[in-house]
Amino acid sequence: MSSAPDQALAIRASRGDVEAFRLLVQEHSGLVYRVALRILGAQDAQDASQEVWIRVWRNIENFRGDSTFSTWLYRITVNTCLSVRRKEARRGEREYGGDEMPFLPEPRGGDADPEAAALGGEQREEIQAALGHVRAEHRAALVLRHMEGLSYAEIARVLEVPDGTAKGWVSRGRAAMLIALAEENHGRGAGGPAE
Amino acid sequence: MMPVGEQRWEMLERIGAYAAGELEGEEAREVERLVFERPEYGRLAESYARMLVMLAALGSEPVEVPEAVVGFAIRRAYASAFMRSAEVFLGALGRSYIDAFVYYLGLRRESYEGGT
Repeated sequence: MSSAPDQALAIRASRGDVEAFRLLVQEHSGLVYRVALRILGAQDAQDASQEVWIRVWRNIENFRGDSTFSTWLYRITVNTCLSVRRKEARRGEREYGGDEMPFLPEPRGGDADPEAAALGGEQREEIQAALGHVRAEHRAALVLRHMEGLSYAEIARVLEVPDGTAKGWVSRGRAAMLIALAEENHGRGAGGPAE
Repeated sequence: MMPVGEQRWEMLERIGAYAAGELEGEEAREVERLVFERPEYGRLAESYARMLVMLAALGSEPVEVPEAVVGFAIRRAYASAFMRSAEVFLGALGRSYIDAFVYYLGLRRESYEGGT
C-alpha cells in the first residue's frame, strides 16, 4: 500500500522537515480527499481533509514505521471522518423488514452495453446518497474494501479491530448499501420497486 | 431457531459475500446452488454484482482535490515549523539574557571555581 520513499519522507517529516511533509501531502492528498468524499459526501470532505492533514502534521512524530505510511494515513482519515459523523445527529440506517428483496433494475442497455458500465451523474448521486444511509463504521469498511480495494487484514489494521469484525462490517455494509440503493432507485423511479 | 428476519438478513449477507467472490468450499457451492435454483436469489446476486461494479467504478474515478486542501495543509505546516523554530530561538535568547542578568547582579556564583 505504501512505498519505501513514503516511509523515508515520513521519517524526515517527523523530524520537522516541512519539505518532506509537503511531498507527502502532494502524493497522498488524493487518497485522503477520496476517502473523505466517500464517507462524508462532498459537503464535509474538504474540511475533513484539512483536519486530517493537521492531525498528520501534529502526530507524525509518533509515526514509527510499524505499519506502512498509507495504512497510518488511512487510519487518521477514517478516524477523522468518523469523528465528524459522531458529532452529527445519527442518520438512520435503512431498515430491512425481510419481506422484500432489494433488487436493482437492469441497466437500460443490458449488461453487455459498455455505456451502462460507465457511471452517469445520476448513478453517482444515487450511490453517494445510498452510502449516507449505511452506518458510519460499516460504510468506512465498505469504502475501504470495495472502493479502495484493501484486503481484510489491511482494513482491520486501519480500523483497529479484529479481522473478523472488519469482515462483518463489510458484509453488513454491503447488505445495507444494496437495500439503500434499491430504495434510491425506487424513489427516483429509475426502475421497478423492490419485489 | 433464528427469527425469519434474521434468517433473511443472513441470506442477504451470504449472497453478498458470494457475489463478492469471498466464499469458499462447501459454503460457496451451497450458495451457488441456491442462486441457480431460486430466481429471487439469482436476481439478488446479480443486483449485488451490479452494485459492486458501480462501487469499484466510482472508487477508481480520479477525484480532483480542491487546491485549498493542499495549500492549507502546507501553509499550516510551514507556519507551525516557523513557530517551533521561533519558540526555540526566543527561548534560548531569553535564557541567555536571564543568565546574563543574573550574572550581572552577582546572584550566581561562578560554576567553575578552579581547582584547590
